[in-house]
Amino acid sequence: MEDYDVRSAASILASVKEQEERFEQLTRALEEERRNVTLQLERANLPPNPAISQPLAWQQVVMQEQSPSNATSLAMMQEPQEVVEETVTIEEDPGTPTSHVSVVTSDDGTTRRTETKVTKMVKTVTTRTVRQVPLGPDGLPLPEGSSPLSSYTDSIDRRYMKNGGERFITPQATSTLTRAYNNSYNDSYVETPESQYIRHYGLHDGYTDLTDNYGSLSRGVNFRPPRYPYMPNSYRPENSYTLPIRKDDYGHVAQPQVPMGSSTVDLNRSQPERFQPEPYGLEDDRRSLGPEEEEPYELEPDYSTANRRTLPGTNRGRTHREPLRDVHRVRGYPDDPIEAELIDERHPYIHGMYSAPLAQPERGSMASLDRMAGRRSPSIDSIRKDPRWRDPDLPEVIAMLGHPIDPVKSNAAAYLQHLCYENDKIKKDVRQLKGIPVLVSLLDHPKSEVHRKACGALRNISYGKDNENKVAIKNCDGIPALIRLLRKTNDMEVRELITGTLWNLSSYEPLKMVIINHGLQTMTNEVIIPHSGWEHEPNEDSKPRDAEWTTVFKNTSGCLRNVSSDGAEARRRLRECEGLVDALLHALQSAVGKKDMDNKSVENCVCIMRNLSYHVHKEVPGAERFQDPSALQAPGSAGPQRKKKDDAGCFGGKKAKEEWFNQGRKNGENDKNYDTLDLPKRTEPSKGFELLYQPEVVRLYLSLLTESQNYNTLEAAAGALQNLSAGQWTWSNYIRATVRKEKGLPILVELLRSDSDKVVRAVAIALRNLSIDRRNKDLIGSYAMRDLVSNLPSGQQRPAKNLEEDTVVAILNTIHEIVTDSSENARSLIQAQAIEKLVAINRTSQSARETKAASHVLQTVWSYKELRNALTKDGWNKSHFQPTVTATPKATKNGKPGYDDTTLPLMEKNQDGYSTIDQRDKDCKYKTDDGSADLTEREPLKNDTNRKHYIRSNRPAVSLVDACDVKPQPVDSWV
Amino acid sequence: MSFVPGQPVTAVVQRIEIQKLRQGENLILGFSIGGGIDQDPGQNPFSEDKSDKGIYVTRITPGGPAEVAGLRIGDKIMQVNGWDMTMVTHDQARKKLTKKREDVVRLLITRKSLEEAVKHSKGSHPRQ
Repeated sequence: MEDYDVRSAASILASVKEQEERFEQLTRALEEERRNVTLQLERANLPPNPAISQPLAWQQVVMQEQSPSNATSLAMMQEPQEVVEETVTIEEDPGTPTSHVSVVTSDDGTTRRTETKVTKMVKTVTTRTVRQVPLGPDGLPLPEGSSPLSSYTDSIDRRYMKNGGERFITPQATSTLTRAYNNSYNDSYVETPESQYIRHYGLHDGYTDLTDNYGSLSRGVNFRPPRYPYMPNSYRPENSYTLPIRKDDYGHVAQPQVPMGSSTVDLNRSQPERFQPEPYGLEDDRRSLGPEEEEPYELEPDYSTANRRTLPGTNRGRTHREPLRDVHRVRGYPDDPIEAELIDERHPYIHGMYSAPLAQPERGSMASLDRMAGRRSPSIDSIRKDPRWRDPDLPEVIAMLGHPIDPVKSNAAAYLQHLCYENDKIKKDVRQLKGIPVLVSLLDHPKSEVHRKACGALRNISYGKDNENKVAIKNCDGIPALIRLLRKTNDMEVRELITGTLWNLSSYEPLKMVIINHGLQTMTNEVIIPHSGWEHEPNEDSKPRDAEWTTVFKNTSGCLRNVSSDGAEARRRLRECEGLVDALLHALQSAVGKKDMDNKSVENCVCIMRNLSYHVHKEVPGAERFQDPSALQAPGSAGPQRKKKDDAGCFGGKKAKEEWFNQGRKNGENDKNYDTLDLPKRTEPSKGFELLYQPEVVRLYLSLLTESQNYNTLEAAAGALQNLSAGQWTWSNYIRATVRKEKGLPILVELLRSDSDKVVRAVAIALRNLSIDRRNKDLIGSYAMRDLVSNLPSGQQRPAKNLEEDTVVAILNTIHEIVTDSSENARSLIQAQAIEKLVAINRTSQSARETKAASHVLQTVWSYKELRNALTKDGWNKSHFQPTVTATPKATKNGKPGYDDTTLPLMEKNQDGYSTIDQRDKDCKYKTDDGSADLTEREPLKNDTNRKHYIRSNRPAVSLVDACDVKPQPVDSWV
Repeated sequence: MSFVPGQPVTAVVQRIEIQKLRQGENLILGFSIGGGIDQDPGQNPFSEDKSDKGIYVTRITPGGPAEVAGLRIGDKIMQVNGWDMTMVTHDQARKKLTKKREDVVRLLITRKSLEEAVKHSKGSHPRQ
C-alpha cells in the first residue's frame, strides 16, 4: 500500500468531507427505518449481519471491483457452475452375518453422498461482500506479496484506533468511515478511487453521498471483529440500497478509474466492462447484469426511502458477479478464536475497541491463499491485486440467511454451500453457529431461488464423516422439511438436491428410521415410481415405459438402499410400502431389457431388493403358511435340533447326519414335486412384496449376474439369490429349483472366478444355500468344486486374489455343506487336490475362523470310511483330519472336534449358542462364530457409512446348517 | 432408558470399577456383553425399549471380577473409562473393555432398579 501514490489525498479528503455532510443528513432520515429493520433482524435471531450494513459501500466499490474480480474469476467460475459431485461410495458391507440363512443382507449401505460446489452462487455472494469491502477509495490493491487479508486488518485497526471514538458515537458509521479511509488508506491509494467515485456520485447527488458513507460503514463492518461492534449499522438491510449505485458506477466509474495510475487499479476498473456482458452463468446474475445502468437509477428513490423490497432484484444482479476466490479467504476465518465470542455477544462498541487486534484474518487468509493457489489460482491474483475485497465471514453469512431480502438469503445460502464444499471445519462451524436450523427453515420459503440454495447448502453440510451435522439437520426437523419440499417442487434441480441430501442423511444409522417414517412413501410416489416406468394400471395400448436413470432416481434409490439395511422393521416398512417393490422390479427388468445395468441406479435397486429379500421366509406376513412341510415333519422341527447340535459343537454328529440325509431326501422329493407339479397357479398376479420371492425374479437376477460388470451389482444379485434360497419354506424350495432350471448354477460357478472378493463370497454363500436342494448339491459338487478349491489359500500363502478371511471362511463353509451327506462330493473334493490346502489352513492359518472351518471340512471328509483308503494312499492319516490341537491351541477345548471353544476359564461354557469371542485371540477380532458360529446371526451390519472400506472381517461365517431356522442369536462377547 | 437418536439421554447411573483378573496373558472381566448399533436390538432381552441399541451385560461369571464389583446381568453400559457406549458397535464396545494395557475398567452403568429407586425417592420424599 505504501507504494501507491498519494496523489490528491488532500483533495479527496476535502471532497469526501463534503459528501459526508450531505450524507449525514440523509443518513438520519434513514436511521429510523434501519432501526426497524435491525429489530426485525434481531428478532430473527440471526446474528447481526455485518454484511448487510455494508451494502452501501459495496455499490460504489463494486462497480470497480466487480469487474476485475470477474475477469480473473471467470475461468474458475464457469467450471464450477457445473456441480461437482463428489461421490463417496461406501461399500456396503455386507456384513452380514448371516447365519444360516445366509444371507447376507447386509446392508449395503452404500452411501453416496454428493457435495456440490456451487460456484455460481458463490459468485453472487461474494460480490456482495466485495462491494462492501470496497469501500473503496482506501482499499486499493495491495502491493503484491502482501496477503490481502493482512492489509485489511491493518487498515481496519488503524481506523478503529483513530476514528474509534467518533464512529462509535454515531451509530452510523458513515461519517466515520470516510475518515477511516483517509487515515488508513490515504497513504496508499486512496486517492484514485475516491476521487473517481466522487465524480460519479456527483451525478446522482444524493446517492453518491450515501454510497460513500455507506462504503465507509461497510468497511468497518466488514472486518469481522470490528463489525460487531458496529452492529447498529450492520443490522440494516442495506444491500438494497447499494444496488442502484453500482450500476451507475459501472458505467461511469469503471471507465474513469481505468485511467488512474496504479496497474492494479486499472485492472479492476477496466475489467468490469468486459465482464458485464458475460453473465456469470447464473441465471440470477444475468438479470442484474443486463440492464445495469438504467435500472439502478430507478431504484434510487426507493433506496433513499429505504424501501428495500424494491431493491432485491437489483441487488441480486449485482451481487452475482462475485469472484469466487474471496470465498476462500473466508474459510480461513474459522480459525479465529474470536469469532465465537463475537457471535454470541455483540457489544458493538466494546468490541470495536478490541476489534483491531482481534481481527487477525491472517491465518485465515493464509489458509485461503494456499487453497486458492492449489485450486483456484485465478482468484488469488484478484485478491492480491485488490485488497479491498473481503468475503463475509461465516457469522455474517449465516446472519444473511435471515435477511429480509430474498436474494440475499439465497446468495448467502449459496455461498454457504460453496464454503462447506469439502470443508468439514466450516460445516462444523456452521452447525455451531446455528446456521443449520436457519437453512432448514428456508426450505419452506416460497421462492424457488431461496429454497434451492438452502437445499444445496444442506446437501453439502450433510455430507461427510461428521454425523453431528446430520443429526443437527434432523433435530430441527430437516427431514420432514425436505420431504415437504420434495412433494411441493417440480424443479428437477431442487429435487436432485433434496434427494441428495436425504441420501447423505441416510448414511447415518440413527436417522434411517426417521427417514423411513417421514419420507418413504413420498420418495416412492414422487420419485421411484414415476422414474421406474412402472404403472399401477398399465395402459394396454402403450408400451411399458422404461426406467429413466435420472439423478433424482439414483439419489433416491441410494437413500432407500441405505435405509433398507436398518433391520427387520425397516425391511418390513419398505416391503409394505405401496408400489416400491413393484417399481424397483420394473426398473430392473427394464435395465436388463435395455442391457443397461452398470449404472449406480441399478446397483442401488438390486441392493434394495437384496436387503428386502433377507429373511423373507420369516418376516413376510403369512410366511407361516408357506413353511416347508418337510421341515415341519422333522420331529421337533429341524431348526431347533440343529441349533442344539451346533451349540454342542458336535460337528457332523451321527444324528445330525441322519437328519441331513433325511432332509436331503426330502428335498429331493420336493424337487420332484416341483418338477411335476410346477409352480402354484396364481389366480391373480402377485404384487408388492410377494414379488420379492416369486420364482420369476430368479431370471432377473441371473441376467444381472450374466451381464453386469459392476461388482456391487453382482454381489447384490448373488446376495439376493442367497437370501431367497435360504430358509425352509415353499418359496425357497421353488427358488432353489428355479435357479437350477434356469441354468443359474453355471453362471454362479463362473463368478467364483471373479476378481472381486465380495462377489466370490456372495456367490459361495449362495451356492451353499442352493445346495440345500439335493440335486443342486450333486451338481455343485460335481461342477463347482474345483473353482471353490482354487479360491482357497495354500498354506500361508494366499492365492493371487488374496481373498479376505471372510471369503475364505465362506468358501470353506460352502465346501463343508457340499461334502456333508455326500461321499461323492467328498470324493470330488479329494480329487480337486483340496486336502493339502485344507490341512495347511488347519495347521497354519493365522485365522481361527479359517482354521475351524477347514477343520470341519476335514472331519467330515474323514468320516467317510470308504474314502479313507484313498486318503491313506495319498499319504494322509487320521491326525491330519483332526483338529490341530498343537498348532492352534485355541481350536479345541472340551474335546469337541473342530471347535474353538472360546470359553475362558472363568466363563461357563456357552450353552446358548451365543457366540463367544475369544479374548485370547486378539488378532482375530471377530471370532464371533467360534463355537457356535453357525448359529450366530447378526443383523446386517450397518454400514459404517463414513468409511469407504468397510472392514469385512466383522461378519460371522454363515452356515447353512441351520438354515431352517433358528432365530438369529444376538452376538454376545465375553470380556 | 429409551432414547431418541440425537437427543441427550438422561439416566440414573452408577459407577462400577472392575479390577481385571490376570490369567496368563489374558485379562478377564468376567462378564459378557450384548448389543451395539450393529446388532438387532429387538433381540435384546434386557432392554425395555426394543429399539435400544446400547450395550448390555448379558452374562456374568460367578465369582468373577465383574460380579465382585457389583455388576449385574441386564445392566446397560453407558460408558467405559469415559468412552460413550450408547452409540457404538458391538465390537467397538468389546475393544474398549478389553484393552490389554488397562487393568482397571471404570463403567458407568444404568439399571432399571436404579431408576426406580430414584423415582420412588422423588415421589415420596418431597411431600413429606
